[in-house]
Amino acid sequence: MCHQTVSLAARHLEANGIPTVIMGCAKDIVEYCGVPRFLFSDFPLGNSAGRPFDVESQRQTLELGLKLLESAPGARTTMQSPIRWSEDAAWKCDYLDLTKLSPEMIAERKKEFDEVKSIARAKREAS
Amino acid sequence: MTTTAPGAKAAFAADHDVAIPYMQRTRDYYQVLGFSAYRWAHFVEVPFTPLRMPLSRARVGLITTAAPFRPELGDQGPGAAYNAAAKFYQVYSTSSETVPDLRISHVGYDRLHTKAADINTYLPLARMREAAAAGRIGTLAPRIHGAPTNRSHRVTLETDIPELLRRCREDGVDVAVLVPS
Repeated sequence: MCHQTVSLAARHLEANGIPTVIMGCAKDIVEYCGVPRFLFSDFPLGNSAGRPFDVESQRQTLELGLKLLESAPGARTTMQSPIRWSEDAAWKCDYLDLTKLSPEMIAERKKEFDEVKSIARAKREAS
Repeated sequence: MTTTAPGAKAAFAADHDVAIPYMQRTRDYYQVLGFSAYRWAHFVEVPFTPLRMPLSRARVGLITTAAPFRPELGDQGPGAAYNAAAKFYQVYSTSSETVPDLRISHVGYDRLHTKAADINTYLPLARMREAAAAGRIGTLAPRIHGAPTNRSHRVTLETDIPELLRRCREDGVDVAVLVPS
């Protein structure tokens, strides 16, 4: 949801004369929406600006984003950061992996999701 | 990623070593949980504004989806479970002069493979301050703006995003860096 929100925001800023760059980790969501400039880091969600406690990777990530701002020839310019999260890409298989969920776990997740939704709804209505 | 010279033994990357198809995974997951499919925002036309000045002279704005830490709202620390109570529903702004305490327990980041223990992984403010000090960018805008990650496209498009633009203009932002959590 975060990636979609910033994609919509980037489009609006850009349509109103402010150049933008998105730094993010969910390539499909950003590209499906359609944005001017996108620096894609192939990292677990939550690491859009670089690897944890790795200042050099954070610097490189920002620098690539700035370079995109300067050099993108047109809309839908995506660049993928060359930095790897880990040598082994197995982590990519885990996000919302249904094959690892038993029927009991699915029922539990559904219950949790309903609870989360009701908390969010109450908060939204109160705001 | 490994590439091979012609004639060399092929050493292709693993099939799963691609960008994660989040939309498909989310769709499949919620379908199994019994919820209807979410319709993701999608456009054919994409606006584009060329950079009109060197970045070394530009005032750069930062937009985040991270949430201000509020101790009364439960665990928001590294590795905290998804915390819907920590969500926010209106655009907020905070000074960029110091690094604010912003957290991401209110969103679905990858809790299996990362812990959100280092704010610099989702808020590049310290790195942007360094870039400004080094003259790589002109100045940092005086405020960071927080965007609510609302499931309603209507509220995002009609309320939150126009408000973000208004605040960016108020700050005299020349270019914006947007960082989802």
